[in-house]
Amino acid sequence: MKQQNEFNSEHEKQHSAEQQTNQAAVREFAKPEDLLRHDTQRIPVPAAIAERLKVSSASFPKPSRSWWQRFFGK
Amino acid sequence: MNEPLAERECSDQPRADWAASEFADLYAEHSRAIFYLALRFLGDPQKAEDATHDVFVKAFRKMDQFRGEASWRTWLYRIAINHCRNLQQSWNERHMFSNADDALWDNAVAQIDSPLRVLETKELGERIQKALDALPDEYRLLLLLIADQEMSYEEVGTLTEQSADAVRGKLHRARKAFATHFRKTE
Repeated sequence: MKQQNEFNSEHEKQHSAEQQTNQAAVREFAKPEDLLRHDTQRIPVPAAIAERLKVSSASFPKPSRSWWQRFFGK
Repeated sequence: MNEPLAERECSDQPRADWAASEFADLYAEHSRAIFYLALRFLGDPQKAEDATHDVFVKAFRKMDQFRGEASWRTWLYRIAINHCRNLQQSWNERHMFSNADDALWDNAVAQIDSPLRVLETKELGERIQKALDALPDEYRLLLLLIADQEMSYEEVGTLTEQSADAVRGKLHRARKAFATHFRKTE
């Protein structure tokens, strides 16, 4: 009996959580670009790119500084 | 006090000079935008990863050519767009538009004024990609660039070689086309 009550309780919690998830999951975007902005934020940049760049950059010749970088001290 | 850029890198990094540090800052600030453009333009995560790497390699090599006439973001986008277009061998053919295309989207009954309602599911990315893939490249590029809030109509116009007014006009049709295709993916 106790096990049945626990099961029901768990089931209700799960059902309630699913409902909340479904409610929260519906989103509205006024324009396509708003949807794309949202999409941009949900997609992580693969860490592998930075790792590859670290290796790649080791073999690069040092670029000279352009006039504006020298001027502004960047 | 902020540590000078040139002294920020550790000795275990191969290029501990101003350029490497500046480059790291550039990557941190713009990599998300460049990766997203490559991902949605090419439609393939692995290709997008390779393209993003290659774009920043090109940017690093050309850093001394940057004159500050455009923003870093615009400059990087230009490299990325050229790179992605080169990867897409069919760009030139697909870039050609006829008036019939414009008429099609003008007459489409897409409800552009009604919001796009989406469910936050793992399929959302696939739906967005399918809708973008169905667009002419020019419309896809316009939407992706306009979606970046750092980009003005003028900057998007510069990148796509047209006036800001032309961007506004085409953007309307691009939105309509995207909405039509996106709703078809439901």
